[in-house]
Amino acid sequence: MITLTLNGLTVEAEKGSTLLEVAQFYGFPIPTLCHMEGLSPYGACRLCLVEIGEGARSRLVSSCTYRAEEGLKVRTASSRVVRTRKMVLELLLGSCPQSKTIQDLAAAHGVRQQRFRQEYDDCILCGLCARICEQQMMANAIGFRGRGEKRSIGAPFDIKSDVCRLCGACMYVCPACELRCTYTEPEKAICGGCANLSPPCVYADKFDDMMCFMNPCVACDIK
Amino acid sequence: MPRLRSIKELQGLQRRIRSRLDQRETLITVCAGTACQACGANDVQRVIKRRLIERDLVDRIRLRITGCHGFCEMGPFVMTEPQSAFYPKIDTRDVPRIIDALLADEYVEDLLYRDPTTDAACYRRDDIPFFAKQHRTLLGKNQRLDPIRLFGYVAQGGYESLGRALTEYTPERIIDEIRRAGLRGRGGAGFPTAEKWEMARRQVGVEKYIVCNADEGDPGAYMDRSILEGNPHSVIEGMAIGGLAIGATSGFVFVRQEYPLAVKHLLIALRLAREYGLLGTNILGTGFDFDIDIVKSAGAFVCGEETALIRCIEGTVGEPRQKPPFPTERGISGRPTCINNVETWANIPEIIAVGAEEFARIGTPTSGGTKVFSVVGKIRNTGLVEVSIGTSIKEVVYEIGGGPLDGSKIKAVQIGGPSGGCIPHGEFDLPLSYDSLEKAGAMMGSGGMIVMDDDTCMVDVAKYFMSFLKQESCGKCFTCRKGTQRLWEILDDITRGRGRLEQLDLLEELGGTVADSSMCGLGRSAANPVLSTLRYFRDEYERHIVDKRCDAYVCKELTGAACQAACPVGTEAWRYAALIARGEYEEAYRVIRERNPFPSVCARVCDHKCEQQCLLGTTGQQPVALRALKRFVTDRVDPSVYEPQRHSEPGAADRRVAVVGAGPAGLTAAHGLSLKGYRTTVFEAESRPGGMLISGIPAYRLPRRVLQKEIDALIDENVTLRCGTGLGRDFTIDSLLEGGYEAVFLALGAHSSRRMGIDGEDMAGVYPSIEFLKAWNLRDESLASGKVGVIGGGNTAVDAARVAIRQTGVSEVTIFYRRTRQEMPAYEEEIEGALEEGVKLEQLVTPVGLFGKKRRLAEVQFVANELGEVDAGGRRRPVPKPGSEHRVPLDTLIVAIGEQAASVGPKAGAGIEMAGGAVVVDERTLTTKRPAVFAGGDLATGPNTVIAAIAAGWRAAEVIDRYLRGRDLYQPAEPRLPRAYVEPVAVEEEAQFPAPRAKAPTAPAAQRVHNFDEVEGTVTVEDAAREARRCLRCDLEFTERPQGADELRQAGGGSR
Repeated sequence: MITLTLNGLTVEAEKGSTLLEVAQFYGFPIPTLCHMEGLSPYGACRLCLVEIGEGARSRLVSSCTYRAEEGLKVRTASSRVVRTRKMVLELLLGSCPQSKTIQDLAAAHGVRQQRFRQEYDDCILCGLCARICEQQMMANAIGFRGRGEKRSIGAPFDIKSDVCRLCGACMYVCPACELRCTYTEPEKAICGGCANLSPPCVYADKFDDMMCFMNPCVACDIK
Repeated sequence: MPRLRSIKELQGLQRRIRSRLDQRETLITVCAGTACQACGANDVQRVIKRRLIERDLVDRIRLRITGCHGFCEMGPFVMTEPQSAFYPKIDTRDVPRIIDALLADEYVEDLLYRDPTTDAACYRRDDIPFFAKQHRTLLGKNQRLDPIRLFGYVAQGGYESLGRALTEYTPERIIDEIRRAGLRGRGGAGFPTAEKWEMARRQVGVEKYIVCNADEGDPGAYMDRSILEGNPHSVIEGMAIGGLAIGATSGFVFVRQEYPLAVKHLLIALRLAREYGLLGTNILGTGFDFDIDIVKSAGAFVCGEETALIRCIEGTVGEPRQKPPFPTERGISGRPTCINNVETWANIPEIIAVGAEEFARIGTPTSGGTKVFSVVGKIRNTGLVEVSIGTSIKEVVYEIGGGPLDGSKIKAVQIGGPSGGCIPHGEFDLPLSYDSLEKAGAMMGSGGMIVMDDDTCMVDVAKYFMSFLKQESCGKCFTCRKGTQRLWEILDDITRGRGRLEQLDLLEELGGTVADSSMCGLGRSAANPVLSTLRYFRDEYERHIVDKRCDAYVCKELTGAACQAACPVGTEAWRYAALIARGEYEEAYRVIRERNPFPSVCARVCDHKCEQQCLLGTTGQQPVALRALKRFVTDRVDPSVYEPQRHSEPGAADRRVAVVGAGPAGLTAAHGLSLKGYRTTVFEAESRPGGMLISGIPAYRLPRRVLQKEIDALIDENVTLRCGTGLGRDFTIDSLLEGGYEAVFLALGAHSSRRMGIDGEDMAGVYPSIEFLKAWNLRDESLASGKVGVIGGGNTAVDAARVAIRQTGVSEVTIFYRRTRQEMPAYEEEIEGALEEGVKLEQLVTPVGLFGKKRRLAEVQFVANELGEVDAGGRRRPVPKPGSEHRVPLDTLIVAIGEQAASVGPKAGAGIEMAGGAVVVDERTLTTKRPAVFAGGDLATGPNTVIAAIAAGWRAAEVIDRYLRGRDLYQPAEPRLPRAYVEPVAVEEEAQFPAPRAKAPTAPAAQRVHNFDEVEGTVTVEDAAREARRCLRCDLEFTERPQGADELRQAGGGSR
């Protein structure tokens, strides 16, 4: 066991546990979008930032990837953390305004506006789908492609992968609802319908022909 | 090849090589770095080889092909030994002469490097300031060895350090040596190298790795490439020593695929090192095993980040991960890995060779040694510069870099590539060290220094780096990926004129978040270009947003055609040029006159900002002679072809406005108000209207009848002119406002000369320049006699000198200027004209004392100057040389060191604030501190150009109109983009390219010096047409060819 300071409290933690786990164990809420128990820590969404260290050497790190250290001083809700978290949420809202998860998080953190040009992306590239596919479903059917602004998630060459078993785990874990029902064109793999609130499947009389494996479909649920 | 089995054998090899190389050998060195190869070094090399063989000189002259020497601006160049001569930018045809001179132990005078300011030849290479001021520990070795052979390196003491480290040093001792040397990582962050090694060394019981990070991706930085190309063995030796220190047996060089020459040289060097037993098993018989592999990078910038680099070497996608664990704990395949930059590794043998103390003697206390910077951009000497850490930016940019390109002013340097920041000119005293740069908002990075001058738009620079980073971010962590995209998006909006002021705060906030919350070094420094330019150049951002102006004429959507954007009144210069090319002179006149009530005046005396920004001129040719074209049109078209458009507001005819001062600003304002229907009275203190146009500008530049004709045309039924009535003398602002004038526009100009502040300035024979010029121009009174001296270097000084030399009773005229002719602010053609007419120019002198006889000037004491440091204005400051005082007998001294506005004192009207010799106004609305009173022209700006005064006049008319109608005075700015379409004329195929610029004829100097007739003439019809066709027609990018233009063209018309 190692001892560290968490928001001023002296707490004990198991060696090797991440700051996120320690904070959650002691009941300090830390929002996150790319973390899931059972999947490898990734540190992509930057929502779970906490401030470590003191004075001029203090810095922000993602708590899901940072292992607890003896004597470390951690603050999960310092003004710096809150300010940064709000900006991250504002950026998320600017890109994926339709995601219920993101809307709820933004509301909970008091983010009421976003000052960027509104985009309607369906993906925040958190990588949960790719990791669950690789690490839990042992399929490795989808993954990241490209870098920077061209980074995207998908199957190689945008063709439905042979190793995909249509298990639906990717959709289950998605916070922004990226990989959804494939409508009537399974080859396209991504329809994006669930996010539109008027997904094609609701009106489609060919629902049975679809490769929709959400049961019940999130969008249909809303309807 | 014999494998070296012991240190003794290495020493033996070294002795053998050295004994074979004569100390004073005859040698030609050709730089064949990538930069020099690109400009023809390979041809030079081939020609030299052939020549040596043909003349059977192979035994007498040795040819050495080396890597980069650093002076890339001068490529291709050769050096000869033992003369140490340096021949820059040579041609293959020069080779025979160089070889002949080398054989005769002489220099080829005309091929030698010449100092750009003094034109003196530099015989020895080390006399060249570029080399003399550097501290070339690493780069200095490149010129002495052939990188594809081992012998050169061994002769220079190569692998001696490795031998010593293997036999005499323990790993602890090596690390201690590095620590005492104060070596910090040269890759950017500046982490102490010894600490990193110590961490790696402490990991026990596992295999460890050494990595050389040669993934140099910063735009504009290439020092790592040069070291790998020019001296690969130094990196290999450094890595082997590192391996010994931390206990690693294998290493990787992670090198960019885009560096083929570096890869080739490195592969050759690795093979040679293995053959000689300097790599591999049992190195030099000591039992130490170490070998190096090459991994070629796939070309992503982020792979230079060490955690991403590790993943690349492992064979997966190059994405960084969160640290800790640091690579020294968990690196390649989870094993301890020590990653250092190329330059760091190249420094290691040097430290072992000279010892830590000697190495740490240069640099700063916290960081020893030298750093190589690649100095590129708008600078005279592009190249690699190695200086000791802590050298000031100023020294690198001005003394080594040679300062700005001709006629421009350095504004800032971007240090550290995309992750670095901009340091403005005012901070150039900053020492180049890790800590000071970071404090200033930049970072050392790998050492790229991009020099920017006033033709660089800082918003555009930030946008460029953001565009680079948004593509090169790996995209894994959200704030770096989306943050850089959003930063770019906002910057893009600003450069397109869609920005809002509150977005600047958003930029800062978002930049702070990206820097604070990203995972790796790329993201953490990604906002630096935005944050540092915002910090130092916020006014430039605001100018883009509020005034919709890009003062560097870079942002296309704000600039349109640069000639039009540069003109203070927005004259469509491209349009009249196009119309002249079509022969439509009357339409051309209308275009000119529409924005400018003084077309003939400006055709003669305008400082033609349009030509300074002309795309032809800024891209290496001569700009279109727009002023000469304007003169051509105004000379041959009758002004009556232009009928100004009047839109009278209802009731305007009953409202009266007072304009004080009948100069270009006042008259333009009166004209503008008249067009809107207001009744205006113009008050002029002198006896004739015209202001500076008549009292300051001599008749040989601006004939009086031309001026009079244009002034007369502006005095219409709405304008009353009252000469001989002065503010404070005959009326006050209060009396005007009480007397029924609803608004007052003050345009009194700047008619009071600055004083030198020397005793005796009131003596007879010493005149302020304005007094001297007014006496002649307004009253035909000649104040100068005998020997005349003029102090100053501006246009007023040159005007005064040229007037004086035309006056009777003047024997000679000399201009005394404290700097040199290059720094004189006067127009070049005016200086040229004055010198032709026999005016003498005495440079680098400052008057310090006046001596009279019978209360009349007899002698002036001067002190000589030399040019010192560069001041805030970008010009070198004159520094007096002690003991250089000397007296010059002079009968008349005209002081022309600048003008300022005469005080608008409380007597004339309360509430007008003055500061720095000008009335304080709001730049955008021209309002003074007093309601209903506006001010503009020289009175508000200090001495300025005619066209700026005209622009102020237009603005005053606009603002006063809004004021009288009770509207908001501020009008949001709009970019002035070309709107009208003018059909281009067909370019003749046999047209000469590049066509020379038309030159207006001038009267011969011997003739014109005796009278005040106009000096400059008009270009011919043919010249005008040819000149107008040179225009690149930047406007066509913004206008659309209307439907039916073809029919119009056939009909012979259709200018719109």
